[in-house]
Amino acid sequence: MIAVAFDELKVSMSLAEPAAFPVVEKVLLAAAIVASLGVFAWRLSPIARNVLRSKKDTDFSLRPVGARVWKFFWEVLCQAKVIKQRPLPGLAHAFVFWGFLAFALVTLNHIAVGFGFGFLQYAGAFETFYVMFAAVWALLVAVSIAGLFVRRFVVRPKWLGEKVSVESGVIAGLIFLLMATYLAALFVDEGGAAVLGLWWVHTLVLLVFLPIIPGTKHLHLVLSPLTVFLKRPEFSQLPKLEGDEDFGLVAGKDLTQLIALQAYSCVECGRCTEHCPASTTGKVLNPKEIVLGVRSYLNAEGPGSEVALLDGAQPALSMEAAFECTTCGACEFQCPVGVQHLPVLIGLRRGAVNTGAWEDKYGTKLFLALEKQGNSLGMSSAERDKFIAKQEFPIFDGSQEYCLWLGCMGSYDPKGREIVSDFARVMRALGTQFGVLKKEKCTGDPARRLGNDLLFGDLAEQGLKAFAVAGVKKIVTICPHCVRTIATDWLEYGVAPEIEHHSEFMARHAHLLPKQDGGSIVYHDPCYLGRYQDVYDEPRAVVATAGELVEAERHRERSFCCGAGGGLAFLGEESGERVSHVRAKELIATGAQTIGTACPFCNSMFRDALGAVGGETPPQLLDIAQLAARGLAMQTNDLDAKPGEN
Amino acid sequence: MKIVVAVKQVPERDAVVRVAADGRSVDESDLAWTMNEPDAYALEEALQLKERAGEGEVVVLCAGPERVQSTLREALAKGADRAVHVVTPEDGDDSLACRDTLDVARLLADAVKGESPDLVLTGLQSDDLGAGQTGVVMAELLGVPHATLVLHVELAGNGIKVKRELEDGWMQHVEIPLPALLTIQSGGNRLRYATLMGIKKARQKEMREAPAAAAAKRVDEVLKVSPPTRVKQTEMLTGSADEIAAKLVEKLRFEVKVL
Repeated sequence: MIAVAFDELKVSMSLAEPAAFPVVEKVLLAAAIVASLGVFAWRLSPIARNVLRSKKDTDFSLRPVGARVWKFFWEVLCQAKVIKQRPLPGLAHAFVFWGFLAFALVTLNHIAVGFGFGFLQYAGAFETFYVMFAAVWALLVAVSIAGLFVRRFVVRPKWLGEKVSVESGVIAGLIFLLMATYLAALFVDEGGAAVLGLWWVHTLVLLVFLPIIPGTKHLHLVLSPLTVFLKRPEFSQLPKLEGDEDFGLVAGKDLTQLIALQAYSCVECGRCTEHCPASTTGKVLNPKEIVLGVRSYLNAEGPGSEVALLDGAQPALSMEAAFECTTCGACEFQCPVGVQHLPVLIGLRRGAVNTGAWEDKYGTKLFLALEKQGNSLGMSSAERDKFIAKQEFPIFDGSQEYCLWLGCMGSYDPKGREIVSDFARVMRALGTQFGVLKKEKCTGDPARRLGNDLLFGDLAEQGLKAFAVAGVKKIVTICPHCVRTIATDWLEYGVAPEIEHHSEFMARHAHLLPKQDGGSIVYHDPCYLGRYQDVYDEPRAVVATAGELVEAERHRERSFCCGAGGGLAFLGEESGERVSHVRAKELIATGAQTIGTACPFCNSMFRDALGAVGGETPPQLLDIAQLAARGLAMQTNDLDAKPGEN
Repeated sequence: MKIVVAVKQVPERDAVVRVAADGRSVDESDLAWTMNEPDAYALEEALQLKERAGEGEVVVLCAGPERVQSTLREALAKGADRAVHVVTPEDGDDSLACRDTLDVARLLADAVKGESPDLVLTGLQSDDLGAGQTGVVMAELLGVPHATLVLHVELAGNGIKVKRELEDGWMQHVEIPLPALLTIQSGGNRLRYATLMGIKKARQKEMREAPAAAAAKRVDEVLKVSPPTRVKQTEMLTGSADEIAAKLVEKLRFEVKVL
């Protein structure tokens, strides 16, 4: 039965193709192909020129090639980022992409037929299978592209922008036509006029499609596989400034080839904007518009230009927007075409701050505090000395296993001090030997993110020296910003001792932490621990010892910023809604009794936010170190209460 | 307009100051140094005057051993055009620490004379010694009019108009002909931050070293240097709640002066 049915199908589903073309038509076809390729090349060449003539990325290296191949496989071939972020449209997009790949031979054959070299019309086993395999894909592509068309022009999600580009409608129509003509050719008889008609329609659609690609967002078809393969290997990887004339992104001359390639690859899907804490709380900054602004700038001024990038003809590239970024990295993390926003946003800030163009009351105050007092809170270092003495923290002398790095928050902020003290309690209970540095200066994190390379470099060099002089081998700290800055950003100036976040330390010892029945705890992923360092499970392991772990709607890689990063904790009032309020409401909505944090900055932001939006009975706010210390304290109390039983 | 800004290098605000073994000076070996804060405001005022005028030159002047060049570089990085370093020895009778105010003012005034500026600015006092005399003595030595405790300067015709801080929130506005000398009070402006571009430009700028005259014999003598003794006073207020409140308000208003 099945064999018969298959046989019938084979007959009815062979691909009808025109037999032979007269010479005139062959010449016409050849001319049309040359014209199509010509227009394609003519429209692509200024873009290629802009990319190639941009400044070289001096820090670029193809190695590690393996990691690049994996990213290409995962993000391009598997469409992982496209699907993960928006499953339904993502899958539809993946079907169109995979369909295109499956269609490669069909297209080659189609053109070959025109010149009399068709190779799929013979009904061999492979050809029959392939024609039907492609037909299944054609059906999937047709349905998907129709769905995507409806989404873009009828549903109109706001992330696609206010204006919907007409050309994407045209492209969708062309793709649909390509599939329809292919499928129709399965149902017409050989030799008729319909066959010839379908063949020509399919051909013309292909030849019209090609020249539309450059100059529209559909350029990503050509560029994004390359962009994903070539993107910088590290998250928020900032290039070293080279020579005496490099201050960051001041003008077109500073835009590098990677930045230009990425700007032209942007597919304008708006995933970056959808997740941006600034865009979604009513601020000027829109990461997608920043990328498109760089593209427009390149088109208008060209690479090598001396015209300033910020506050010029591109409205999206404003000083205000650049300094609203919390550097949470949600944009860069989920971009499906390999655009890396942070080196651009921070690059623009570097250009503005390193040349003194950025004037901001709070920013200047922060920089002067870091210059003079060496900490971001502008406190006297004597305050830290008093705190260390009061807590009886031993001074690191080389005999202890760990150097406990306090950080600005741990040294001077009241809540940060509580967190550090509780973490010290945990370390003491576990019998871990630790000491603190006699003097500590800020790692330079806020200076780094705000683009002050002079200040950051000074602080990095002083920090490296302090660790070397003290003979530190291993560092542990409560602050993810300090971990990232010391381990990664300081590399420009030297290699720091091994450093870990207290969540990693405590997760390793989780089996020794007392199990508590501490109610429901919602854990907030700090950007600088999650997206920046891939640490998601360790803090959760600590939370799990203290109570029942609850997840917020946005968590792990999709976690939403607290609003403090990128130096913004120090920059005064934000415009629009406060980022911290949005996140605090989301955490409260889980109904959890406790909010668990793993970063003193997040903690400080939520402390204020809970006062404003926490209502009558806000959840308790505790760092994971405090959760662990709470268990240890209860255990000790139990022991004290029942001495006879032990 | 040519402006000379005289600055001093002082120990950092939270430096731990130790008395040297001789008991008559400060041990400088372990100190970190910075620009005297009122001088930083004087520099800022000079830079803003130049920026507002759209032309002019700001020359920064400092006396001391080699280490003061870091402070001069900082001033150049923030926008000063040139630096003059009056070189004094690290220690001994001719070192800065052993000269009295008149002698330091002479050193600086000699250097200023060679520049013949329209305006000389300096901080109203130093964070370390706080005598508040160097500026006014310099004005006397230079034979130019001066104003102290200045918060703001603007050009007015051939002279300048300055805003002086008096006590209790009162301000005085004075017009002074040029050339003149002003001592600047902290807080009148917003200081600027140092930038990478500034530091790189500063490397190209001129730093002239000028010899220092030998120190004149001091008429006074330092007998002993000692940290101030810390006194903590606790006073218990007694009486009824109303009486305590009344006493507290009185003390806050007239003794602590915060109300």
